[in-house]
Amino acid sequence: MAEIKVQDLHKEFGVGENRVVALENVNMSVQGHVFVSIVGPSGCGKSTLLNILSGIETPSSGTVTITQDNRDADPGYVFQAARLLPWRTVMDNLLFVQKDKSEASKERCQRYLEMVQLGDKGDRYPGELSGGMQQRVGIARAFSIEPDVLFMDEPFSHLDAITARSLRRELHAMWRHTKKTVLFVTHDVGEAVELSNRILVFAKGGQLKDDLQVDLPFPRDPADDAVAVAKAQVLRKFEELDLVAS
Amino acid sequence: MTTTVSTAPVRKSKLRRSLTSPTTARILFPFVVIGVWYLIYYTIDSRIFPTPQQVLQFMWEEVTLTSGVRYSSVASNLYEQFAVSLLRLSVGFIVAMVVGTVLGLAMGLSKSVDAFFHDWVMAILAMPALVWALFLSIAFGFGNMAPILTVILAGIPFVIINVREGVRNTPKELIDMAKSFEVPQNKITRHVLLPSLMPFFFAAIRYAYSIGWKGLVIAEVFGSQVGMGWTIKFWYDAHRAHGVIGYALFFILFALALEKLVFDPLARRAFKWRPQLDAFQLAEGDFGAVRQEGFLLEEDEIDQELEVTGMEGRSHDG
Repeated sequence: MAEIKVQDLHKEFGVGENRVVALENVNMSVQGHVFVSIVGPSGCGKSTLLNILSGIETPSSGTVTITQDNRDADPGYVFQAARLLPWRTVMDNLLFVQKDKSEASKERCQRYLEMVQLGDKGDRYPGELSGGMQQRVGIARAFSIEPDVLFMDEPFSHLDAITARSLRRELHAMWRHTKKTVLFVTHDVGEAVELSNRILVFAKGGQLKDDLQVDLPFPRDPADDAVAVAKAQVLRKFEELDLVAS
Repeated sequence: MTTTVSTAPVRKSKLRRSLTSPTTARILFPFVVIGVWYLIYYTIDSRIFPTPQQVLQFMWEEVTLTSGVRYSSVASNLYEQFAVSLLRLSVGFIVAMVVGTVLGLAMGLSKSVDAFFHDWVMAILAMPALVWALFLSIAFGFGNMAPILTVILAGIPFVIINVREGVRNTPKELIDMAKSFEVPQNKITRHVLLPSLMPFFFAAIRYAYSIGWKGLVIAEVFGSQVGMGWTIKFWYDAHRAHGVIGYALFFILFALALEKLVFDPLARRAFKWRPQLDAFQLAEGDFGAVRQEGFLLEEDEIDQELEVTGMEGRSHDG
């Protein structure tokens, strides 16, 4: 079972007058097959948190441990932009992040491409695909290394509403099927309520303000009354926490 | 209230469309040039200015080595002169590419190295090739040294600047991606850094080559007794305009052939991941580089947008 533990995490950028606190004393822990959303306004440090968890940035102080059955866990990452290598084909983009180029790796990559309905696009270059397809490749790439935990940084914010909705549905099916631990950053409360068991609310200045449970069965339909009510409750919570400027 | 919008398109006739198409425009160009040429020929003193036929005839005689019959004073032929110039250009070009790439990489990677060389690169860039040619032929005499050094000095600043910009524009987003997937550094260098440098490297090749040619001709006019530049000067001294124009055209033909037969296929191979690339971009050395692919700056732009629209601004269903 995967476990993410964050203790007294502090991150700041710059020095002197330019000093900006991105994360302030964050403590959290996430375990097992859960879909956790991190929401908050821009500048609340949610992307920074993900960058620290995935090792792209280092914390100013505090500790982060990501384990899978007492060993270091393998993370996968889906970015806001697909971040594909434009000079390599779709298949080669997936192979680029594999540990080896064995037949097993290739088969696995092909399987995940098929899961995002791009099984026949392996020899295309990213520039030949639409934005939605590129993001699908990004998702397939993250799943293809069969990570223990998956970090996602607003992966659908680039896409039009209809493409985003169908990708959300696909992603969620893959999550239920593969039983990964997912940490999903978004600024979209509706998206968070639709997808997650748990919502961590961050405020500007990088403080973790609240930890909400969403106990509704999956898959959830965003047009469903119960989901709409849950979204309204979360938004009301934002008002209580004074996150929304009047 | 209803609004009626006229939907009848402005139809161009097929003939008119094909007459104004880019292909027609491209084919039309040489004819316009020849027309203007004749216009000048009939306006000014035609004892000095040659007709296109005269130039073509001259070029043909040079190619077939039959001009000696009429101009027995010309000691050597087109091929010998061309070989001398091409050798000088090649040596200078290769040195400029190698040294320029090394310096460009160092300047892109280290701020101190950049600070050390920056003003010198700008100074060399600002120096006219003519001054190099004059100075170097005084310093080294009428051998190969002055023309070769002129090619190097004319071309090297463009190589340095292009490679340095390439290093500065490395796609940090892609490198971060590779690191988050724990891809080893040597694989990142080979598959992320080097390919991202390619557009800049190709631009450097084109600049070093074309600017090098120009520097070489000037150097040979002033500081040599062989080569294409010297031959142009020979016809200038002989007061034969068709000789000057003819040799300039040899240059242009060679440059075009190299472009079409070497640079274009190379670029097409290196950039086949950009299928939308057209011939004009190739000719300009403009490969759109990495920015259009949407991974440089993109997230900054999005962050800015979010600042304005706020949390619910991009909600999918609200």
